[in-house]
Amino acid sequence: MKHIVGKVVLLGFQGVGKTALVSRYVEKAFHPQKAPTVGASFFTCKVVKEDHIVTLQIWDTAGQERFKAMAPMFYRNANAALLIFDITSQLSFDSIKMWVQELKGNVEESMMLCVVGNKLDLNDQRQVSREEASAYSKSIDATYLECSAMTDQGVALIFEKLAQGLMRLQGLSSTLKIYEDDIMASSSELEATDIANEETVNVSIGSIAHGNTVNGKCC
Amino acid sequence: MPVLTLQRSYKYIMYATKQPSLRIKQADLKCKSGCGFFGNADWEGYCSQCYRNHTDSERQKKSHQGGSSDHSKAQVSGFSKFEEKKRQQTDKKTRYMKSLPVFRKTSNVKDVGRPENLVDIMRQANPEANKLMAEFIAQYSQYGEGIRKDFLKCSQAFSNKIVKELDVKPMEDLAEIAQNYYNQYQNRVNSNPTYQNVPNDVKDRLVEFFENFTMISLYNFLFCPPTTNDEEKDLTIQGRIRKLSWVNAHHLDCCISETSIEVRDLVYTAINDLLGMDSMRAPQEKLACVVKCCRSVVEVLQHCQGGPVSADEFLPALIFVVLKANPARLKSNILYVTRFCKESRLMQGEAGYYFTNLCCAVSFIENLTAESLNMPEQEFEAYMSGEVTCVSAWESALVACEGMHQLREHLALLKGLSERTQIVQNTTKSLWEDMQKLKEGICESVDSVLERTPLIIKPRTSPLALTREQLLAQAAARTAPNPPEPEPEPAPRNFYLKNLSFGHLSAFETPKSKLQLDISPCIALKPSHSGDQLSSPAIDKTPGSLTPDDNSFLGLSKVNYDIDLSDLSTENSAADELTPDKRKSPTPSVDPFSPVGGSCPVAQPPLEPSRGEFVLPFLVEETLIDKSELTPAASLPPPLVPSAPEYSGFSKQGSRIPSIPCSTGDYSSLTSSPGHSNA
Repeated sequence: MKHIVGKVVLLGFQGVGKTALVSRYVEKAFHPQKAPTVGASFFTCKVVKEDHIVTLQIWDTAGQERFKAMAPMFYRNANAALLIFDITSQLSFDSIKMWVQELKGNVEESMMLCVVGNKLDLNDQRQVSREEASAYSKSIDATYLECSAMTDQGVALIFEKLAQGLMRLQGLSSTLKIYEDDIMASSSELEATDIANEETVNVSIGSIAHGNTVNGKCC
Repeated sequence: MPVLTLQRSYKYIMYATKQPSLRIKQADLKCKSGCGFFGNADWEGYCSQCYRNHTDSERQKKSHQGGSSDHSKAQVSGFSKFEEKKRQQTDKKTRYMKSLPVFRKTSNVKDVGRPENLVDIMRQANPEANKLMAEFIAQYSQYGEGIRKDFLKCSQAFSNKIVKELDVKPMEDLAEIAQNYYNQYQNRVNSNPTYQNVPNDVKDRLVEFFENFTMISLYNFLFCPPTTNDEEKDLTIQGRIRKLSWVNAHHLDCCISETSIEVRDLVYTAINDLLGMDSMRAPQEKLACVVKCCRSVVEVLQHCQGGPVSADEFLPALIFVVLKANPARLKSNILYVTRFCKESRLMQGEAGYYFTNLCCAVSFIENLTAESLNMPEQEFEAYMSGEVTCVSAWESALVACEGMHQLREHLALLKGLSERTQIVQNTTKSLWEDMQKLKEGICESVDSVLERTPLIIKPRTSPLALTREQLLAQAAARTAPNPPEPEPEPAPRNFYLKNLSFGHLSAFETPKSKLQLDISPCIALKPSHSGDQLSSPAIDKTPGSLTPDDNSFLGLSKVNYDIDLSDLSTENSAADELTPDKRKSPTPSVDPFSPVGGSCPVAQPPLEPSRGEFVLPFLVEETLIDKSELTPAASLPPPLVPSAPEYSGFSKQGSRIPSIPCSTGDYSSLTSSPGHSNA
């Protein structure tokens, strides 16, 4: 049993439902009263896939324009980026493109990108066509998914895809934490990093600072 | 050294974001040496790698200038190099020492003691480290003496190394050394046979304890070290926050209510947690303070808005708390944690997330402009220069006196109260209007119902007493019907009007009157009456009722008859008619009933049979007439010889036919009812 701990950063325009999406998933996956003090901006959730336990540490970011300059602090060392836009707003989709550009420019690690069109329940007011979005996602090697945080449609699939992506990422990314220990299964998610043996995969870390960029983004 | 480079990689990203302004061309951010990576002001515009090369070459140049003898010595012993470095920095240090009493002691110790003994001396001056050591022995002695010895050996090696390099290498390098030692110790714990019998969770605790212990021992050297400009940064940010004291929750678009006591307490808790960070020594403890503070902030937001708290709301709230707290040595603390906290802890987990948020908040405050507050440049400048001051409940609570604060709070409270009063007043008014409308509506509907279904008073009931004599008289003087009739008219009408007190009754009666006119048998006057007055029907009826009653003891049949007509027109009239009948019944009808209806003294029993007869006519109106037309021909003549003259009066009245059914109905039901039923 392998345990993978990956950092997932949520990016997207203000009001596209970043938090709603995650809290919808976490609400369902865990008892809501389990972590009331943690708030909704930081989550950990566990996805069990085949012989892997994938713990996703989800970092929510503030979507306001004025906090855009701080985003690099959040996405550094992230293993996956969840780029969320609102299918009823072209503007939010354009901001995704901008985020992707920024990530490509600043992040040297291989990183899984996942583009998510939220608010599928408002399909009749759609401004961004599925074809357009999926074509764009293909061009940046990202997974494209649509969901509705309100009706819980397709939400679980996103996190499953994330887990799959992180599993494929092992060996490609140096920041991804992989533990080979069963203790993990019984320990609490929040202290995941503090418990059990930790081994950093792909020890050619010397290349990172002056980034020999690892090509081939996952998915 | 793979780990070291990793350390730098994230740090350079972090510094890169802390640019003085929000909008800078990308070219300006690049490393001065042109290697294509980002540079940083902290590294004199170089990127991390180039800065290192740069400083290394600088250092070498200096040592060359210092003389060949020094240089050769430097190669032999690190100590002479250390001494030389120390001399160079003495004046710089003393400048800091004056402002920071913390360092005076350690510097004295260092000056006096030989570097080899530094660690011991350091420990003597650090009672907390001793306490920790005792704790360590208490906790881990059960796993064997070897562990304690190994732990001490490692931590001492680490401390020695740091102390040795303290004045030689820049802080960033020391941080890398520290990270390296953490990892080394961790590997040692996991692989060394000494730790074989230790359970996994204890191993992790040991690793954590190693970090904790060494950092507490070295705190005085590593926190806000004089070799860096950390203190300047502290003072800068402190001054900046002081200047920004006018920024309140509203400016940051965060929904922290200023008046709620619970919210204020929670904000104070958050502020206290943040301030507590400075008093902690180990990076983990400082980090724990940040987490505590952030959890309080989340709680505040949950209290203010409910539901899950997103980063969109959390970050502004945290900025607000940082602004209001203005923690001492904020920058030093952040840098200390960034440098010496085990890196994996900063990268991941809740603590890492919240610490990142704190860094964001600080960075935002450093780069705050009018634009980032969505405020006109002029207004921002006015606030910054102190031309305009805005006093909010927070400012007064945190800065000014208690009285001022209470005043503010009461004002806010009063404002809220007056708003609520206004709302109450408005709703009261609308409620009153609604009630008024309801009242009118009810009146209207009552009126309309009354109009649709008028209350008709049968004129014949109570006047009986009066009319009786007259009727008798009339019967006596039957030959001349005209003169007596006008006389009873006024009396019954008034009587009814009085009794029922329905002013508009007469008006209601008009539609009805036509139907009843048919009944009123007697008079030739009628046409003229109905034409003249509204009230005429009432008048007309009285005689009508009089005459049949006087026919007297056929009264029953009369009752039936009325009902028929009224049923055709309205429902109410039927009920109305019943009551007059009842009234009537005690006086005259006892006699007539008994023969026909049997035992029952009331008017009803006779009604029913008669109704039964008339059921068919009800259903089809025309048939009623037809039938009535037919019946008279058959049944009328034989029994009703005496009353015949009266009915001629009916026919006179205008409608030839209706007059006939009156009589026929009466007679058939009354006198010949047994005969009919039999037949």
